[in-house]
Amino acid sequence: MMLNPILEKDLKTKMRSWRTFVLLSLYLAFLGGVLYLYFLSNNIMFDIYGYSTFNPRIAVNAYNVIAMFQFSLLALIVPALTSTAISGERERQTLDLLLCSGISTLSIIMGKLLVSVANIMLLVVASLPILGMVFLFGGISFWEVLLMFLYYIITAFMAASLGIFLSVTFRKNVTAIIASYICFAILAVGPVIALFIWGVFFGRNYSGEITYGFIAKFLFPSPGFGFISFLAGGHSSMFGFGSLVNEINNFIERDPSWLRHFKPWMLNSIFNIVFSCFLIYLSAWKLNPIKKRKRK
Amino acid sequence: MLKVINLVKRYGRFTAVDNLSMEISEGQIYGFVGANGAGKTTTMKIIAGLLQPTSGEVIIDGINIFDSPRTVKRKIGYMPDFFGVYDDLKVDEYMDFYAGIYGIPYRDRKRITDQLLELVDLSEKKDFYVDSLSRGMKQRLCLARSLINDPKLLILDEPASGLDPKARVEIKGILRELKNMRKTVLISSHILPELAELCTAIGIIDKGKMVASGTVEEIMDKLAGMRKLKVKVKENTENAVRLLQEQPSIKGIRINGNIIEADFKGDDNILSLILKRLVLQDIPVISYTLEGESLESIFMHLIEKNGSESYDA
Repeated sequence: MMLNPILEKDLKTKMRSWRTFVLLSLYLAFLGGVLYLYFLSNNIMFDIYGYSTFNPRIAVNAYNVIAMFQFSLLALIVPALTSTAISGERERQTLDLLLCSGISTLSIIMGKLLVSVANIMLLVVASLPILGMVFLFGGISFWEVLLMFLYYIITAFMAASLGIFLSVTFRKNVTAIIASYICFAILAVGPVIALFIWGVFFGRNYSGEITYGFIAKFLFPSPGFGFISFLAGGHSSMFGFGSLVNEINNFIERDPSWLRHFKPWMLNSIFNIVFSCFLIYLSAWKLNPIKKRKRK
Repeated sequence: MLKVINLVKRYGRFTAVDNLSMEISEGQIYGFVGANGAGKTTTMKIIAGLLQPTSGEVIIDGINIFDSPRTVKRKIGYMPDFFGVYDDLKVDEYMDFYAGIYGIPYRDRKRITDQLLELVDLSEKKDFYVDSLSRGMKQRLCLARSLINDPKLLILDEPASGLDPKARVEIKGILRELKNMRKTVLISSHILPELAELCTAIGIIDKGKMVASGTVEEIMDKLAGMRKLKVKVKENTENAVRLLQEQPSIKGIRINGNIIEADFKGDDNILSLILKRLVLQDIPVISYTLEGESLESIFMHLIEKNGSESYDA
């Protein structure tokens, strides 16, 4: 079996480039730094409030903080990695050489997409030891962490598809990068704004109950909505995550419809997969310089 | 091997390719000549399947490219006028990458790469990064790349542009090698003489229109009306001019001292007859030469003429 040649080449060149090493180091240093500062701040607070013993519940919150930082970092990195995939080839004047070779445009898109996802997987897997530190204190299962990583990959896949689609659409790298960030921001915040607008203009006249299902219909495209599922619960938490998470979980459980069986991450992942497939198909179609003629 | 039928490409109101047709048979080296902006690159991009034409057909090896673009592209090798290389790859990795793109199995790649690098004289550079190669070497590498799938039709867009004379000679040497290998090649240039010695046929394009096509000899013979007859006489210039003016095969006459230049249209028999008449009139002819029209001036003449008619040899 032959590996996608674009994936093979890009992995080879990326892994021997100093940029990957620097990106990975910075990423891990940042996550490690956040975790260190978190524990440090807790220690200081223990001193202030006079606790004499270590509170293991802060490990759960540490997990929440790290997970959030990691998710935000990925949201920042993925568009930068993917939105130059095709426009970069165009700027480098190598795109024509690929397009005239007879390789399908879908293979080109998939090759570029898999390279981006492989990069993200490298970052995520490399961060496992940092996230694993919370296992020292308990409260989080390995399965929960794996599930969250799966969600990261699915979200990264969607963000990468979006980046590549914009890279096909815009000729210049800079335009494609800016457009990627704007589109990703719209996807993340847009549904929340839509819900807010609905609340302001139509909320008063709405006689039905505001259920999880109702809110999910607005928020399902937002990666932030999906990510809520991975915040761990607990009552005495520093940022109040625990009680918030418990409230959200209770809110979901109270929904009378079948939607309560679908947690936010599941709904968002379904959307991400469908949206990615659509973007991949559209990118491949747009990239193809010659559309087959339909014979009459 | 290649048949282009009534190809048209419009960008808004601008017509880049205007009803262009041409045919190249197997084993032919076809020179595609035209000034910058004449429509060569657009035509070649359409043939290479990189651009959708407004109308027209392109048939390669019996298959219409718009019916089965991927099948046809596998039969083509294309070298664009401007191209980039992956600087972070070594020469053999670069070739291996494109071998993968063309679906060549792993086991055959090294052999093909070695053969092609040998052909373009880059065997010794195969462990070098592409970044470190000179422009001429990159050009040769790109030529090797375009041959990686053993194409039936090779499309070379200005392969020698921007190269120094030495690199030009090297590229020409490779093209000669391809000619010996009986490859079908469509090669473009804005410099006609550059192609004349290599090509079995040429096509001249201007403003998107094919203004002449045929073998170099055919085009020169048919357009022989532009040949210049140069007669140098010792004396009696007026008589010589009068006699030349009486000849129907002589058009415009210019006098420069004792040298008479005339536009001549006719064959060798008429030429010798005119000389005989000059001698019989006791005109002391010192030299009598027919200067073959240079390819360059034929090219210019055709471009000036374009708009009024087109010519097919």
